[in-house]
Amino acid sequence: MDNSKSLGRILSLCVVAFAYLFLYVPIFVLLVFSFNTNQFPAPWSSFTLDWYRELFQSSYLWKSFSNSLIVATSATAISLGAGIGLVFYAASGGKIGKFMGMFYGNLVIPETVLAVSLLSLFTLIDIPLGLTTLILAHSVLGLGFVIPIVYARYRELDYNLTEASFALGATPLQTFFKVTLPLLRPSLVTTALLVFIISFDDFILSYFCAGSSSQTLSLYILSMIRTGVSPVVNALSSVLLFLSSLLVLFFFSLKTRVRIF
Amino acid sequence: MNSPPFIKDPKKQLPFALGSPALLWQVLFFYIPLALITVSGFLKVSELGAFEGFSLENFRLFFSPVYLKTILASLILGLSNTILCFAIAFPLAYFMAFTGRKHKNTLLFFLIVPFWTNFLLHVYAWFYVLEKHGFLNNLLIKLGIIGEPLQLLNSPLAIMIMMVYYYLPFMVLPIYSSLERFNESLLEASYDLGGNFQTTLRKVLFPLTSRGIKAGVFLVYIPSFAEFAIPELMGGDKKMFVGNVISTFILGEGTGSLGAAFTLLSGLILLLSAVGLYYLLTWILEPGGKHG
Repeated sequence: MDNSKSLGRILSLCVVAFAYLFLYVPIFVLLVFSFNTNQFPAPWSSFTLDWYRELFQSSYLWKSFSNSLIVATSATAISLGAGIGLVFYAASGGKIGKFMGMFYGNLVIPETVLAVSLLSLFTLIDIPLGLTTLILAHSVLGLGFVIPIVYARYRELDYNLTEASFALGATPLQTFFKVTLPLLRPSLVTTALLVFIISFDDFILSYFCAGSSSQTLSLYILSMIRTGVSPVVNALSSVLLFLSSLLVLFFFSLKTRVRIF
Repeated sequence: MNSPPFIKDPKKQLPFALGSPALLWQVLFFYIPLALITVSGFLKVSELGAFEGFSLENFRLFFSPVYLKTILASLILGLSNTILCFAIAFPLAYFMAFTGRKHKNTLLFFLIVPFWTNFLLHVYAWFYVLEKHGFLNNLLIKLGIIGEPLQLLNSPLAIMIMMVYYYLPFMVLPIYSSLERFNESLLEASYDLGGNFQTTLRKVLFPLTSRGIKAGVFLVYIPSFAEFAIPELMGGDKKMFVGNVISTFILGEGTGSLGAAFTLLSGLILLLSAVGLYYLLTWILEPGGKHG
């Protein structure tokens, strides 16, 4: 049966090669054109860093970049803080186990539906759209990650450690800060990173809930794409790709076994 | 196996205030908005936006061929994207977990980097590839396969390419993590007992990784059914999908209730199709009952 086995190997090798070509050819072309003097579709002429210079001088870009940072940081802080609170309340014996299921829907329903629903709430109670509404929207998405992941991780902890802490006279709060929190730290860091990135790159919620006055990075890129091809966007892409490779490296260096999905 | 670390002593219970913000947040910004959109789908409003009562009026508009076709188009988009992603993701995840295990970190790294970069930049990158004078047309002309550049942008093909590009990691990662825990000696055993590749796949590999496959399928199918950004950016304005109709109505002046009604209608169809898909997958992946 070696034939069919090696057939499987060759087949999967072909698919792997195809998949990575598929993923990286567009990125490669994009990066090449960020260093080209001529604008696309003109062919390659000579090397330049002008587009990068122009990019770093664009005040709109930095404004939207910092908006995205503000939103992602706040949404991560809110969902992580509230999520940890709930997990610890449940852990301390709060009869809430059944309610944990109510957070699983956040990731199941299409983001478009969540965005549209939130928009109708904001319109009804007359909250002006802006960074606040965006933070609210992203923190709901964040809770959908934080609670299931941290709760699942918590249930795998060794109860003997908690019991030992009590036996040695620690209060529930001391146990929380000195025993449980350190044990959960790796999964908290990974979850926080995940929520941050999802919020930072989010497009759908931003599109509906940001309003016209506050621009996030996604909306800025959208407006640039709509005005046509510009090598400045290419330069921006290579900067962002570089930043996300750093984040992925950081993520890998944590070596935790928290599965993303 | 230790019992989960839940404290049983009521005196040691932390105050409810600790758990309440998350619950409050969830109710206020998840369940209330969903209830609101449900109610507003049944609202009857005057042209000035005044409340006039409840009716099914909003739904009537959508029982016409145009909108039913839109829903059908989204079903097809979601299903074909799911199938294509699976066709690429399963061999890829298999390779990462077994054959190419030595390189799994590199492979994972290069899979996640684009996944964690703003997806609009990838849409933009594909313009460079699919444009009339772009990379792909130039390549095909140079190879002598075509004489004239093809119209690749603003086509169903462009939509499909971008959909698979964006959703592929959602399918690979859960399948990979269930394959990673899979004991490779089970495959050897199957081959030793005379099973060929197909039998091993159907009787050993699929049943034992059914959880990961199902997770991947739903992570891809549900959002791609409601996707509106990719069709809008890659397909010109030729093709309408559910997501586009929703966003047009919701963002339009005075058409909010219509948008809500359409959201409900398509949401219901999505739910029904997802349930159907779940049973179909169970039937295909787990012949002869559950395995995990």
